[in-house]
Amino acid sequence: MHHTVGIAEMKVAKGTDDLIITHALGSCLGITAYDPMARVGGLLHAMLPQGSLNAEKAVENPYMFVDTGLPSLFEACYRAGALKNRMIITVAGGAAMKSVGGGGDDFFQIGKRNIIMLRKTLWNEGILVKASDVGGAVARTLTLEISTGEVVTRSGATATVLLPARPNAVAAAEGRKP
Amino acid sequence: MSLNILVVDDSRMMRTVLIRTLHISGLPVGEVHEATNGQEGLDQLAKNWIDLALVDINMPVMDGETMIDHMRANPLTKETPVVVISTESSPERIELLKKKSAGFVHKPFTPETVRETIERVTGVNHESGD
Repeated sequence: MHHTVGIAEMKVAKGTDDLIITHALGSCLGITAYDPMARVGGLLHAMLPQGSLNAEKAVENPYMFVDTGLPSLFEACYRAGALKNRMIITVAGGAAMKSVGGGGDDFFQIGKRNIIMLRKTLWNEGILVKASDVGGAVARTLTLEISTGEVVTRSGATATVLLPARPNAVAAAEGRKP
Repeated sequence: MSLNILVVDDSRMMRTVLIRTLHISGLPVGEVHEATNGQEGLDQLAKNWIDLALVDINMPVMDGETMIDHMRANPLTKETPVVVISTESSPERIELLKKKSAGFVHKPFTPETVRETIERVTGVNHESGD
């Protein structure tokens, strides 16, 4: 089943045929968390760096912000059976998008600030990033396949495998011994 | 196999950051020893079995480069892998330091860069070690 994650949303899945996808990552950050043993994965699409920008909104929807969304993503993964020391994190997005209409510069540097907040939050959580596809000035699509753990970003016709499918996870998903 | 690691840097903050990086890296870390300059680093090497040394260059008393030279002259520490972690920006100096060590990490660094360099140098992977 395909789960689509919209802007300021998060989804966690653990089904063998599940795939989580998010589109149109510009300055937003797409963050995947995956436990290859439990085969539990989640994807967060956060818009802005920190919840203190709008504390009310952060309580209402923590997934809107990097610093409140990440702990929520991790907690949801832990509840679904993932363990912190097995979690593999990938990140995409954080681009320097020009203002609507194509003119102007990236005055607010939201992409850059999102990445800085991501680093700070992960450092506090005690988790490192395994692979990333961030920066530049492109929009990205990010997918996480639960059965294999494969993470792919797509930008136009270019696909980048951030995290290759894990053979043991593939075997387990197909009911074979790894 | 867990790695006994020596962290040599005169900045307490930098040692703290490096040690936290080691602990959250997922690498199998055993004992972690600290030293604030090259001489203290050599003293720690004489007292403990060290599998890997993370060494700053610009330090008082004895700089990191002299410490590495002393390590290479000692049969017991000749083969111990060293990763230089430094603000050095001159390409010529970096090339020289790379020749003397197993890896070079430029400050400021991301914790991921430190992890990748240690994995490359030691052949120990964070996913294989518990």
